[in-house]
Order: sequence, then structure tokens, then C-alpha cells
Amino acid sequence: MLELRDLHKRFGDVVALDGCSFSVEPGMLVGFLGPNGAGKTTAMRTIFDLVRPDRGEVTWNGAPIDYETRLGFGYMPEERGLYPRMRIRQQVTYFAALHGMGRADAEAAATRWLTDLGLGDRLESKLEVLSHGNQQRVQLATAMTHDPELLVLDEPFAGLDPIGVEAMAGILSERAAAGTVVVFSSHQLDLVEDLCERVVIIDGGSVVLEGTVSGLRSGSPRRYIDASVASDAEWWLPLPGVVVVAADGEHVRLAVDRNVDVGAAFRLAETAGTVRHFSFEPPNLSEVFREAVSPG
Amino acid sequence: MKTLRIIRLIAWRDFWERFATRGFQISSAVIMIIVAALIVVPWYVEGAAPSWTVGVTGEVNPDLQAAIEAAAPEEDTSVEVVTVTDGEVEQAVRDGEVDLVVDDGELITSPGADPTMLATVAAVVGGFRFAEAAEGAGLDAAATAELLAATAIEVTELEPEEGDDGNVGAAFIASILLFMAIVFYGQWILTGVVEEKASRVVEVVLGTVRSHHLLAGKIAGIGALGALQLVVIGITAAVAGTIAGTLDVPSGLGSVAWIVMLWFVLGFAFYATAFAAAGSLVSRIEDAQNAALPLTLLLMIGYFGAAFSIEGDNPVLQVMSLLPPFAPVTMPVRMAAGTATAWEIVLSIALMVVATWLLVRVAGRVYAGGLLQGGRKTKVREAWTSARG
Repeated sequence: MLELRDLHKRFGDVVALDGCSFSVEPGMLVGFLGPNGAGKTTAMRTIFDLVRPDRGEVTWNGAPIDYETRLGFGYMPEERGLYPRMRIRQQVTYFAALHGMGRADAEAAATRWLTDLGLGDRLESKLEVLSHGNQQRVQLATAMTHDPELLVLDEPFAGLDPIGVEAMAGILSERAAAGTVVVFSSHQLDLVEDLCERVVIIDGGSVVLEGTVSGLRSGSPRRYIDASVASDAEWWLPLPGVVVVAADGEHVRLAVDRNVDVGAAFRLAETAGTVRHFSFEPPNLSEVFREAVSPG
Repeated sequence: MKTLRIIRLIAWRDFWERFATRGFQISSAVIMIIVAALIVVPWYVEGAAPSWTVGVTGEVNPDLQAAIEAAAPEEDTSVEVVTVTDGEVEQAVRDGEVDLVVDDGELITSPGADPTMLATVAAVVGGFRFAEAAEGAGLDAAATAELLAATAIEVTELEPEEGDDGNVGAAFIASILLFMAIVFYGQWILTGVVEEKASRVVEVVLGTVRSHHLLAGKIAGIGALGALQLVVIGITAAVAGTIAGTLDVPSGLGSVAWIVMLWFVLGFAFYATAFAAAGSLVSRIEDAQNAALPLTLLLMIGYFGAAFSIEGDNPVLQVMSLLPPFAPVTMPVRMAAGTATAWEIVLSIALMVVATWLLVRVAGRVYAGGLLQGGRKTKVREAWTSARG
């Protein structure tokens, strides 16, 4: 289990982490969310001792993390970086060996991973001649070839095309299913909603919301009504605390209190005109996110 | 054990990735060719048989050419005798048409002419004139030959004596070699560090291993490659010298080889650490040279200290040879010349080791902090305080 406990870090006048705490159980795929500058990258870097917190600690299975433990982790930093002039199989083999794999095992695993990632015919290419997307795949292989217990990826989906996103998502779920602790940050909230069991939302250097995706959605004090009604009337006005989130012709999306009388709402719509569509749902993850991080 | 394994892996990568580049192979080949050429070409040029052009005014004595050739100390010396018009003697010498002109009892030649040639021609011409005069005085041929034989003087030039002179020369070569090797391979460390920081791969590496693993591996790998190149150059020089048969190096060089090796290891460990710290403070190759300038200057001060003191031991050299930044290029000179006392040698090595240990602590921390700082340039103080202790 990975645990970040009460992390504080300041860079000059900037407070990057302000009491950030959360924990991740094995076999779990966790999305780490937050607006730009919220402290996601700093928090991730503390796990790898790339930033030393002013206060607080990071533990793995209850013990502080030393470098030998860290050899069993995998990390894909936000600022991607590998040796530009090194051949990719050699490069992935090198990092796997640094993480403690034997030379032959490391090379076999590097070949397998790179082939799985669609780079089977580029094994002897230098990194610098590959496209951006392919370099990203090599970076992922570097983080995973040694079969880490903990995999931390900072914005793994940034810059990938839809096929690449799908492949990356598949690999991350597969690793989590195999028992790896997987933590990744992302701004693509729809993707996170589909992919993750748990999310941690950080803002201003501390965790503002944490839990399962369904729990966070249903725990929200708001609900959303999507309705298409053949009427020009603003039939929703009698609903208490209603806000129009979006309107497009007949279709409206309404934010309401979660205790609203759904039956009464439906009857209002029905009275106004023919109801072609009516749904009552908790907020999606993007809405949960905005509620959590927007001021007030 | 894990630590050693990691350092070995890093060292091997730094060694191999540089070794396998075309740039390294080509530059090594070029250096080898230059070294071989420096040894072989002078031998080849010197080895060619001398050829002298002797001008004479008036009639040419038909025996003169054969006589000079026979008298020349070097076999295969070819002599050409030509007539020079009386009024054009000086012009002919100045234009290089002839090497010298024999004008009656006078030899006219250009400044700096080969003394062997002058002596040989003077002796032969003198002999001819003597024979003529003897004949004019009525001496018979046998008496003339006897008298002539008595004027012949054999010159024996001694081989240079083995000893201090040879060692001082060797020491001088040692200090040049050490200075160049430390600066040159120090640049490799510098660019290696900057490249890792510029490509941001350092984030991945330091997310895996500790900064001192990376530092130690890099110094070991690049140091080993540098040492290998030095040895290959040394072997090239030895082979070329053997082929040429006239390896014109000071005789003490063999005995100072171990001094060079010792001080290469000590000096490289010290300066490589400092170069790594300097490299960690910048993010672009263009800024690397500026960051390393103070280090190169320190080495140059030491080198010039050694170069200007080559004539003999003096207090400045004595003090410099004890101080760690200068010792790697000054102490070997004194050791090779035999002017350093045992306690001075022990003290300078001890100070060097202590200084390297301290530098690894200080520069190692600057390196660790500098590597993970963004931005174009990092101040030493920022790197130090941000470093993971």
C-alpha cells in the first residue's frame, strides 16, 4: 500500500503541497486529478525522492521508502526524457537492468514490451528518430518492463492519439488487474471516469475529494436532469434551486438538489409538452471535479 | 552489492554509448595517426640521405665531388659541384641555388648552415689546398700524404647522458599529458551531465537510483574510456617509435609512466567530480563551457606553473605541488625530476585524497540539487539547498 501522509512543500513563496495525504491499495487504478498547479507533479515526485518534502512522509507497506524499495517502482515523469541517441531496445533493457533485472531477462522483457507496444520493427532505432507518440511508448516501456509493484504516471495520455489513448488505457487496467498499484494524473476526466475505480482530487496542495468514482458521484449534493420536451415553456422553473447548465433547442440540462422530487419534475415536463427524453443522474466526474475545485 | 551493480551498469552505459559513436572512433583514429605521424615523419625526413650543392668559382677540380662524398660522415651523402660566376656568389647562396661557395681559400654560406657540411667541405678543400701547396714546395707524394693524414681530426659526439635532463623532459611531457587528459576527458563528463539534464532523462534515472550512483558510474565509465584511449595512444607511440627505430623521447619516460597513471587517477577523480557539478548547474550545452571555465583555469594555472618551473625546482612549484587543485599537473613534474621529497609526495597525495573526498560531498550535493532544478542556469547555493541531503 502506498501512503502519502501530511506532505508539505514550499518552493520559495509558492506552496506546492499543503498537507497532502492519501493512500492507494494494491490492485487499484487511481486517477490523480487537480487543476494546473495543484501539486500533482510535486506529490508524485516525492514518491521517487525527486522532491524532498519539508514535512510529512511517503510510505510503502507502512515503511519509509529507500532506494532499494524504489527499484521495484516504475515512473513516467511529466517531462518525458530518455537518452536521444540510444537504441530503444538497449535503452529499455538498460533501465530494466538498473531496476534489478538480469541482463538476459531484461532484454527479453524489453523486446516483448516494445513489440506489444507496436515497436517490434523499430527495436534497433535510435530514440530521436521516432515520432513523438512512439517515443512516449518507449517511455512507458521504460517504466514497466521490470514489472513494478507501483506504477506512477504523470499525464500518460497527454499527446496521444485516440488509438494510443485506448492502448494506454488497456495496459493500465491490465497492470492494475495483475495486482500492481497504478496511480496516474490526467486532465481527461471522461477517460478517468471510465478507467478508474478511485480518484483523488487535489487543489491548492491538499486533497479536496477522494473516493470511488461512483461514490463521489452519488455523494454529490447535486443531481442533473437531462430532458427533451416539445415546449417553449420554461417548465422547470418551479423546481427548488434549479440551475440551467445547458440548453440547446428542446434539450436542457438542469442542476438540481439531490433531494428533489423526481416524480414532480417529470410531471412538470409532461404537463408542458411531449417528453422525448428524461433522465435523472448524479453529476459526471467533470462536474464533481468542478464542484470540488472551483472556489466557493 | 546492489550499489556496485548499479554503478557498474551506469559506467558500462557511459563507456559503451560513447565508445560506439562514430565521433569517438574517428577522433581516436585521427589522434593515433597524428601521434604516429609526429614520430615517423621526422624520422623519415631526417633519414633521407643529405645532398649538398657546392659552388666553386673558377675551374672545377674533377676530384672534388668524390672527395667530399668520401669525407662526409653520413653514408649516401650526394654532392654536386657547380660553377658559380665570380660576381654572383652571394646571390647564389642567398637564393639557395647552392649550399655554399668555395672561393679560393674562403667558404661563403648562408646563416645557420649545416655545420657538418661546413666542416666536411672545409676539411676537404683545405686538404686540396695543402696538397697543392706541398707540391709547390717540392714535397714528394708520400710525405704530403703523411702530413695530410696528421691533419685529419675525428669528432666523437657523446650520446645524451641518462639522468636528470631526460627525466625533466619526461616530466614536462607528463604534465602536458595530464593537463590535456584531465581537461579533455573532463569535457566528456561535463557534456554527458548536461545532455542528461537537457534531455530530462535524469528525472527517470534519479527516480530509480541515487545521484551518487549516477555520479560514480559516470566518472568510472568515462574515466575508463579515457584511460583506454590514453593507453592506445601510448601503444601507438611505442609501436611507431620502434618502427622508426629512433624513438626520440627522453629516456626517463618509461620510469614516469606509473607517475602519470597515478596522477591521472587522482586528478581525474577530483576534476571529474567538479566538472559534473558544473554541468549540473546548466541545462544547455551552450552554457556548459562557461560553467566549467573556472575549473579549466585552475588546471591551466597549475600547468603553467609547472611549465615555467621546468628549468628547476623553486618555491612556487613546491607549494603548488602540495595543493590539491594544482598537484595533478605539478607534483608529477617534481616526482619525475626527482626533486620531490618523500614526505612531500605523501602529503600531496594525502591532501589530494582528502580534497577529493570533500569535493564528492560538496560537489556531489550540488550535482544532486542542480540536476533536478529547471530553468536555464542554477546557482550553486540553490542547488545546494534543494539537494536531497
